[in-house]
Amino acid sequence: MMRPAFRDALLGLTGFLVLAALPLVFVSSALIDFVIRCAALGLFATSLNLLVGYGGMVSFGHGLFFGMGAYSFGIIMQRTGMPIPLAILLSLGVAALVALVVGAICVRLKEIYFAFVTLAFQMLVHSMIIAWVPVTGGDQGLRGGIPRPPFLGINLADQKQLYLFAAALLIIGLLAMRHIVSSPFGYTLRMIRDNPVRAGFLGIDVYRTRLTAFVLAGMFASLGGVIMSLFVSGAYPEFAFWTMSGEAVFIVMLGGTVAFLGPMVGTVLLLLLNDFVTRVAEHHGLVLGIVILIFALGLRKGLLDFVMDWIEARRTRRGAASLVPAPSPERIAT
Amino acid sequence: MSKPSSSKPSSSSINRRGFLAAGAVAAGTVSMPWVAGAQAKTIKVGMPTILSGRVAQLGTSSRNAAQMEVEKVNAAGGLAGRPIELVIRDSKGQPQEAARVARELVNSDGCEILIDAEASTGAFAVHEVARDLGVLCIHTNSETSSLTADPKLRLPNAFRCARQGIHDSAVGGTYAAEIANARNLTRWATCSPDYAYGRDTTAEFVMYLKRFAPKVEVISEGWPKIFQPDYTETITKLLQAKPQALYSCLWGGDLTSFIDQASIYALFSQMQFYAVNMADYTALTVVKNLPAGIHSGNRYVKTFPATPQNAAWGDAYRAKYGEYPTNWAWQNGVVINFLAAAAKKADSADGKKLADALRGLKIDSPLGADGTITMRAEDQTIVGYAIGWGTTIAKEPYVPEMKSTPWQRIFELEAEWKKEKGFA
Repeated sequence: MMRPAFRDALLGLTGFLVLAALPLVFVSSALIDFVIRCAALGLFATSLNLLVGYGGMVSFGHGLFFGMGAYSFGIIMQRTGMPIPLAILLSLGVAALVALVVGAICVRLKEIYFAFVTLAFQMLVHSMIIAWVPVTGGDQGLRGGIPRPPFLGINLADQKQLYLFAAALLIIGLLAMRHIVSSPFGYTLRMIRDNPVRAGFLGIDVYRTRLTAFVLAGMFASLGGVIMSLFVSGAYPEFAFWTMSGEAVFIVMLGGTVAFLGPMVGTVLLLLLNDFVTRVAEHHGLVLGIVILIFALGLRKGLLDFVMDWIEARRTRRGAASLVPAPSPERIAT
Repeated sequence: MSKPSSSKPSSSSINRRGFLAAGAVAAGTVSMPWVAGAQAKTIKVGMPTILSGRVAQLGTSSRNAAQMEVEKVNAAGGLAGRPIELVIRDSKGQPQEAARVARELVNSDGCEILIDAEASTGAFAVHEVARDLGVLCIHTNSETSSLTADPKLRLPNAFRCARQGIHDSAVGGTYAAEIANARNLTRWATCSPDYAYGRDTTAEFVMYLKRFAPKVEVISEGWPKIFQPDYTETITKLLQAKPQALYSCLWGGDLTSFIDQASIYALFSQMQFYAVNMADYTALTVVKNLPAGIHSGNRYVKTFPATPQNAAWGDAYRAKYGEYPTNWAWQNGVVINFLAAAAKKADSADGKKLADALRGLKIDSPLGADGTITMRAEDQTIVGYAIGWGTTIAKEPYVPEMKSTPWQRIFELEAEWKKEKGFA
């Protein structure tokens, strides 16, 4: 049997190759733009799911880190013009630092208090972005474009190369997060989600584990922000507004919290819906609202979770039909 | 073993047929843009704007006016023989969505020109798309001066066909200072929305006011949040400060809410009120009891410029859409006139040739101060549009008389401002 990490890497590589081959088959700039946006929002939503699905911490302020990534990357590139990989690393560092401070205060709190304090921090950062005009450009955002000097023969000013770069970052980010959730740390996080008291009695430092998860999630969210800022060649206060966090929560709900790729499915679904509906309908809010209702009241779970459960149930039924009446195993988060 | 479906042949065949039909419909829908593109030599003009949320009324009026003018231009042969097809999309007022929609309009829908009918943040996002794609882009709703005044932001393919904050402030400051000097209004207060537009415009207005009326001092400043529903706090603060005059650049629903609430406190009987964004039908017709004597800049009123052409334009719009045009409307109407004139001059609908033709182009327009509007070559923005201040009355024509400042004077003041800002 193949080792899971190796299997994931292989899947990731296949995913990247498929993405890389896509523009060769379909010559469409819209497709390229779509995948870049998917990469940005997908990383953002998957990182939120690290907290929501695996850590049981429903953050309403995750957009803070998305905005943080976009702004710090944009400001670094506009002011210093350092090589892009270095600027990305530095942006992740900034996000990690901020996440450490915010997390140190927030992760002690439970449920609704955690949600609201993260929201409060997000609004604080949003207000700072609006007010600190000389650095952030205030509510007009970072203007004048983000310079994208070529590095290692890669020119991100070319949309096709940006596409490959974003796809690579997406796959690397997803693999890293997958690795995190399949590691002992990931299982510790799930244990804390299910029963923090018990985890504490087993000698686990609950606070530190949660904080680590918070910092990691913040870093991956900021990577999403970096990709978005490269895509729009700017950064805008909306990136750090609560609606951005709301969008991520919605994506996670849409795609599912249990399956690892749930948020990715949710991202594709939301963007497809958004792009298609805004194209054909003037009252797109109505259509999106109905879709939310269908998912919330009809499926009662994200799409990928629904599909996985359905497959599981079918398998169990078949297993039950063929001789051995085994009790159905509880589905655990993978 | 037989397939499960074979036991119910009828339902299976219907399903398959249904599936095929759905597939055909889907394929047809998806391929429509390409088929349409192949049929005619229409020129597609993309227009991202705000059609949902609090500013939707303005976005809709932009679309209406552009469509009205496009019909005229198409009836006269289109852009160098190519009929215009407007492709309009909602950006919901989000910059990342504006950038996405703008890119899609050019890359997937085949638009050769962008009319960027976004508010300011969206406009800066679309500006970057124009930089990336090199497509001809004309901003029609952003009044933020730096968009065209700042040389660092300038692009050869980006223009602005909209009024500009600095022009409004220069005219407003001059107008207010004249009255302040004549009536000895020295104690002023301001009340403007707390974001870049509000702060910049207020600062520029006060700068010109103090310059022409040196005795003026600002004794109170209120900065309500944008889209704030309740202004009681600001109003009581103003009443306590007892200024002789109040300046505000609140706009749209914010301005009308403020006036309705302030009227309860009889605020306007205690001080002169200067609201630059009052004279737009969206505000004038919504206020419950419009107080007489509010000083306002012209946004769009059909009585200024007081020409039969302007009145006819406003009436034609009203006849078609059931309401009067807005400030955003005239700007989006004029941009179509500019494109038509540029295509005629260049004898081409090619984006680059149009851009060359647009630079310095002067067109006849009912919205021009002297019947013409010019696309100034040096910073690719319009000048010479009708700009003035007047006082309101409670019913139509709402602002019977407007006082304008000669454009030569505006140019002088603008040049000084540019020098101070390091733009020139």
